[in-house]
Amino acid sequence: MSELLDINDLKVYFNTEEGVVKALAGVNFTVEEGTFHGLIGETGCGKSVTGLSILKLLDNNALIEGGEIIYKDDDLLYKTEKEMQRDYRGNEIAMIFQDPGSSLNPVFTIQDQVEESVKMYKKASTQKYREIVIEELKKVKLPDVEGLLKKYPHQLSGGMKQRVMIAMMLACNPNLLIADEPTTALDVSIQAQFLQVLKNLKDRFNMTVLYITHDLAVVSEICDYVSVMYAGRIVENVPVRELFKNPVHPYSYKLVHSVLGVETNLDDLEEIPGSVPRLINPPKGCRFHPRCEEAIEICKKEVPPLKKIGEKHFVACHRR
Amino acid sequence: MENTLIEVQNLKKYFETPGGSCKAVNGVDLKIKQGETFGLVGESGCGKSTLVRTILKLIEPTSGKIYLNGEDITGYEKEQLRELRKRMSLVFQDPHSSLNPRMTVFDILSRPFKIHKLTNSNEETMIEIVKLLKLMGMQPEHMIRFPHELSGGQKQRIGVARALAVKPEIIFLDEPTSALDVSVQTKILKLLEKTKKLRDLTYFYISHDINLIRVVSDRIGVMYLGKIVEIGKADSIYDNPKHPYTKGLFASVPEPDPDKKIEGEPLTGEVPSPVNPPKGCNFSPRCPYADDKCREVEPELQYLSDGRRVACHKDNLEQYNLL
Repeated sequence: MSELLDINDLKVYFNTEEGVVKALAGVNFTVEEGTFHGLIGETGCGKSVTGLSILKLLDNNALIEGGEIIYKDDDLLYKTEKEMQRDYRGNEIAMIFQDPGSSLNPVFTIQDQVEESVKMYKKASTQKYREIVIEELKKVKLPDVEGLLKKYPHQLSGGMKQRVMIAMMLACNPNLLIADEPTTALDVSIQAQFLQVLKNLKDRFNMTVLYITHDLAVVSEICDYVSVMYAGRIVENVPVRELFKNPVHPYSYKLVHSVLGVETNLDDLEEIPGSVPRLINPPKGCRFHPRCEEAIEICKKEVPPLKKIGEKHFVACHRR
Repeated sequence: MENTLIEVQNLKKYFETPGGSCKAVNGVDLKIKQGETFGLVGESGCGKSTLVRTILKLIEPTSGKIYLNGEDITGYEKEQLRELRKRMSLVFQDPHSSLNPRMTVFDILSRPFKIHKLTNSNEETMIEIVKLLKLMGMQPEHMIRFPHELSGGQKQRIGVARALAVKPEIIFLDEPTSALDVSVQTKILKLLEKTKKLRDLTYFYISHDINLIRVVSDRIGVMYLGKIVEIGKADSIYDNPKHPYTKGLFASVPEPDPDKKIEGEPLTGEVPSPVNPPKGCNFSPRCPYADDKCREVEPELQYLSDGRRVACHKDNLEQYNLL
């Protein structure tokens, strides 16, 4: 398997009224072709910012301070806006967002919207476009596709809208899909159907997915490899089985043991003392040290580097 | 035998919409025992929040009866309702929007004391608030903070403290942790558990998070399209769900274990509109076992040998476990 995306020491800061927010302070991970890569962390840890940085869709007040985003041997950070739009967004890297309701335009029909993304990358006759749209919608197992074409987004349920989003994305035939919490707004039964669709796509088209979520159960369901993020840094890069069997970083450990499973009891659950630090004034050294039971002097002063501790397993902790 | 604290008989709540009446709660029978934790699960739009708001008399039921400690509260108005508010309280889903951003924690928590005249002076109120904050593991200095100065978990603790202020008999918890991160969720759940023991409370949880409901509840009810389809002891329902909807729902939940995957396609289709529910059993269009009877006749909740009740025509459900 070859590396499709390689992020090295990515730093992204935001200028705000209150000061500079160091949203990403050195993010490192590699996504291999044909794998599902999970990026997990709690609210505000910078996982969505990472996703948006890859496509260079950050707000104007964002400042990319340093690092590299290597996609197929090219550093995306050196691409111009025009090059990004022409060569990468959509046809190479596509993204789906958390809330399918607000990602679709309410005044256009489903056909219009899917067709638009088809037209950007394929040239064909009007009738042919319609056929391609139908084909794309069938790929994501939407029922009654013909009837769906004339409908507007508000006539569809959340799960269907999310599948239309995937169909639009598939129409561009990207190599990498960035999915930012795609099932958070959906019910479990619809989530299960959605995950099924993603798994099928992986099997059929060897798709690569960067799956951003806070839900560890979903990660265990579909991901091969996981990056655990805390307060703007990666604390552990780990194969999914290792993460659940043997989480090494104290934060990963707590996180894995705070998730409710079928056989857990309330007493077995771990809680993490304190709360996520504000990134305007983050703790020095390891950003997890104020909440870590094992923290020592060095943790308060020096940033721990990512160390290799096993096959494809990296951890950033002074105590490991 | 424990006392029944809340009893609901054939409760219905219809909302009139341009498309017809929306049957949000469509005939629910329920008993909550003193001191138990009852959990109601269901997907969005199944009517669980409407059911709770109707029981609390925040909205008027269309028909049916609600009893609190044997007392019929269905027709309560004004002054009687004010008394009722002291006995049943509610914790809301989103702590960020359920606290007034222009009030300090002290203002927020002193409201119940003032409205119900529970204390005689400001000093007394202050003492009570300090006690509540302590119970929630917070400091007295949090009193002067505004909600935006608190973290999500702290805000929800204020929400719980507000519900506890009136010393209620029962607390309804509407998705109390769904807006919080997992690490914070644990803290809130443990705190609620501790408080329940200390104050001898009864809890009524509603959530779409099936694992959460299992962990906290003694008994659970599963709701689908305005009706309860299965109700009974939490352990027995989790170990062996009987209703095809319960089975499908539980099978849809991903496990935090990479070696356990969701098998096959757990539930197909989507929830029909409550304005125009299907004939017969509500679940029949999505049910893999449905036959003509299911599509014609509505099933009643029936007792099984282990004390649970299930609304399904397939009375010999065991045979389907093999499928």
